[in-house]
Amino acid sequence: MDCGTCDSGPAIVINAPQVVQVELTMTQKATEMLEDAFGDDRSHALLVGVLSGGCSGYMYDLQIVENTDIDCQELEINGFRVLVPNASSHLLNGIEIDYVDRLMGGGFKINNPNASSSCGCGESFS
Amino acid sequence: MGLFQLDSYVLLLSGNDCLTFIDGLSTNKVTGTCTTVFTDQNAKIIDMVDVITVGPNIALVGHAGFKENLVSHLISKILQQDVTIRDITLNNKVYLSTEECSLSEGVTVVETFRGWLVVASNATQLQPTMTLEEFNDYRVEHLIPHQGYEITSNNHPLACGLGHLVHEAKGCYIGQEILARMRSRGRQGKELVRLENPVENPTTSGKTHSLAIVRTSN
Repeated sequence: MDCGTCDSGPAIVINAPQVVQVELTMTQKATEMLEDAFGDDRSHALLVGVLSGGCSGYMYDLQIVENTDIDCQELEINGFRVLVPNASSHLLNGIEIDYVDRLMGGGFKINNPNASSSCGCGESFS
Repeated sequence: MGLFQLDSYVLLLSGNDCLTFIDGLSTNKVTGTCTTVFTDQNAKIIDMVDVITVGPNIALVGHAGFKENLVSHLISKILQQDVTIRDITLNNKVYLSTEECSLSEGVTVVETFRGWLVVASNATQLQPTMTLEEFNDYRVEHLIPHQGYEITSNNHPLACGLGHLVHEAKGCYIGQEILARMRSRGRQGKELVRLENPVENPTTSGKTHSLAIVRTSN
């Protein structure tokens, strides 16, 4: 296989979607659960991202981070720093972060008006 | 040995996330060189590709007619992952060998369920020895599906003889729920079979036998 020229060959251009100024909301229950997780320390932030994969093509990715190398926009929601990667901003604008208190399938949930469908577990959408 | 030149594309994926990226979007467990299938939300085939590890990169070898759909499927899923795709089709020719062949400079050979996939740089001169008719006879004899014949966007992998490329235990990917449901209920609808001629609506016609996709009895 000829890969000697790969590095100099042109990469397929990925037309990055337009960066959207994200607006998101957080329910009272989700805020309470984040207060439990963060305590009094507000130096960390909640990173809300999207990765490819899952039954429907995209998966939510929630992380508590101090900083990130990812190109993000920073929001302040209910007293918390929230980071949203610009690369997935078009998929996350208008979302509501909720928390569902259930023994099975509970945890943080994203209600996303941009999703045309989502899989049963709620972690994946398209 | 029979050597048939395939009408293929070769994409080179680089970046730290390329293996997990492909694994998360296709039916087989992708941890290195293997064959896997990309499916859409209805579990219909986008393309079957051979994944070949090339140093830190991976190459995807698929059917030329399906390249556009696959590339558009892949690039829409690259968000914050470290994945770059390069099209190196024009640098290489792709063949299928019916027997194991020796490596030479500029040639990559991997064993697949179809035979030995040979990816050779343009500088390497390989002479095909099989006609399309002979290649189709080989496929009919060994019940091997091929893109454009059995492997099409109208079929799901279980219906066209690619069930072995649908991993039973891996996590979610696009189309997984449908395929898992078919398997768990024992209802895949259609299956690929080899029948003696004459065959009604064959997908591949051979000299004495043909391939066809028929409804299963259950």
